[in-house]
Amino acid sequence: MKLNTQMTVNRITDEIWEIPTSEKPGMLVPARIYATRGILQAMDSGVFEQVTNVACLPGIRRYALCMPDGHWGYGFPIGGVAAFDAADGIISPGGVGYDINCGMRLIRTDLTLADVQPHLERLMTELFRAVPAGVGASGFVRLSGEEFGRVMTHGAKWCVERGYGWHRDLVRMEEGGCIEGADSSIVTDHAIKRGINQLGTLGSGNHYLEVQVVSNEGIFDPVTAAALGITGHEQIVVMVHCGSRGFGHQVASDYLKVFEQCMGRYGITVKDQQLACAPFRSPEGQEYFSAMNCAANTAFANRQVITHQIREVFATVFGRSAESLGMELVYDVAHNIAKVERYPEGELVVHRKGATRAFGPGSPELPEVFRTTGQPVICGGSMETGSYLLVGTDQAVRDTFGSTMHGAGRTMSRAQAKRTVRGAQLQQQMKQRGILVKAVSMSGLAEEAGLAYKDISEVVQSVDRAGITKKVAELRPIGNIKG
Amino acid sequence: MRCRQSDAMAWTFRFLEEIAMADVAFEAEGASVEEVFRGATQALIESMANPVTVAGGWERAIEWRDEDPSALLFDWLSEIVYWKDAAGVVFREAPLTLTHEGEVWLLRARLIGAPVDQQTQELHADVKGVTKHLYRVSQEGGRWKALVVLDI
Repeated sequence: MKLNTQMTVNRITDEIWEIPTSEKPGMLVPARIYATRGILQAMDSGVFEQVTNVACLPGIRRYALCMPDGHWGYGFPIGGVAAFDAADGIISPGGVGYDINCGMRLIRTDLTLADVQPHLERLMTELFRAVPAGVGASGFVRLSGEEFGRVMTHGAKWCVERGYGWHRDLVRMEEGGCIEGADSSIVTDHAIKRGINQLGTLGSGNHYLEVQVVSNEGIFDPVTAAALGITGHEQIVVMVHCGSRGFGHQVASDYLKVFEQCMGRYGITVKDQQLACAPFRSPEGQEYFSAMNCAANTAFANRQVITHQIREVFATVFGRSAESLGMELVYDVAHNIAKVERYPEGELVVHRKGATRAFGPGSPELPEVFRTTGQPVICGGSMETGSYLLVGTDQAVRDTFGSTMHGAGRTMSRAQAKRTVRGAQLQQQMKQRGILVKAVSMSGLAEEAGLAYKDISEVVQSVDRAGITKKVAELRPIGNIKG
Repeated sequence: MRCRQSDAMAWTFRFLEEIAMADVAFEAEGASVEEVFRGATQALIESMANPVTVAGGWERAIEWRDEDPSALLFDWLSEIVYWKDAAGVVFREAPLTLTHEGEVWLLRARLIGAPVDQQTQELHADVKGVTKHLYRVSQEGGRWKALVVLDI
């Protein structure tokens, strides 16, 4: 089998591949990649190099993992999962990413394609106006420093208290949209100034807001889908992909610097500067964890304010309240985060970078509403090909520290995508195929063309066959907003 | 390879296509460290917006010193990213000088731009941060080079 690496990669199953510790000096555990044979063969060399670098970090347990949407990142690969002993392991901003709690949110509606199609142009125009996107965009929420501190500690709860959402939304978010242990007093003034005006904004890159359709043929598990409010019959849903914006980016930058300076003191050496880390129980490790939680809560709040804006726009366009349109949250899940979770090995700091928590029905951490279904997992594909709703499994908890994929994963560089297709041309082609796109940047649009991504169906197939997530429904785009 | 040949403000950089699949990587080079700073600054500015479409009006003077030019460049590029969000601006240019005084490198720069305007400016990527992945400032064959990966 031809791979983009000289390393030995052993087949464990048709969807699990292992790089033994003998392949790189310093590896403490093997690396495991979840992928079909085809996806594995297409993976770039960076994945193999980076996942084995992660396997060298102090306190790592069991395996360094990479999901099928994995590709070259910085430090950790995108799609990377690693768990470190909370007592003697590390925490690394490189295992979380700059966009702390970048994540996905899915909102259902009672509307159908027939209801929405005649109003799609107006709907997308109004959404584009109400949810600012692109470089330097600021939101409508104006906050004092003190109030922003409450956003950091209360997350989506702050939004609901201020009227930007419904109380019942909170149960349908990872950690209830508010992670404990966030201390706003330790974040830098730089981080606050970067993020204070950005609540309710999308950003750019691969972030988006998408109006989607679920057809009957797109439902793989009708019972679970129905339990999650997904009924098919050309049902309209709305997906949001974004994170903690400039605030989280600055928290990551601040602590990479702190960790670079303190690593030597703790006798830690890393294979890549971007893997800078500190012992989890060290003062620096605990400070980063707390600051990271501030950013994670801000991301939950960001997606909640965006949800409020989406509901307002739908209510205006369709002349009915969001509640009467059935605009309930399906779920909100992070895919760039580090969390303390309990496994047979004990308390572990699980890093997921471009990977999603995927707890099964048996997980006591899940709220009652997901005890029969398992935790919803929302995987965004490219804007041309569609996305998936899945659910976590108890097998994921056993095999992958309760983790799975987060999206399609890139297969082409941004520059190559721009050379291959022009933004305006792509926008026109997509319109002809029934997908209305509003974009701030035409070059940014070209970078996100479907051809730049892996086939999400095959990526989803990998995790479904491996048993770490189960397909529920396919979501087909009809309108997209990009930064 | 993109370059500006004027004597006083010369810069050269090229975007590296196959390094950072989901992000942006570039290499700046020049006969001096100062020229590398200019190239890297220009590459970062162009990653966020087409500078030709950005008017002036917003300006910050920055003066920093560091014994390590690599650390100085990293902090300077990070500062540009910071102002993009903190002031909600994109940039037209950033004329700078870099002098070496004893053990210390002194950067004097003016960051010039304008508030983001989606109607008049050609906007590109919202850069999240300057990463340390593969980051280096080095001298090779008598030329100075900097390799930078931006998280997008």
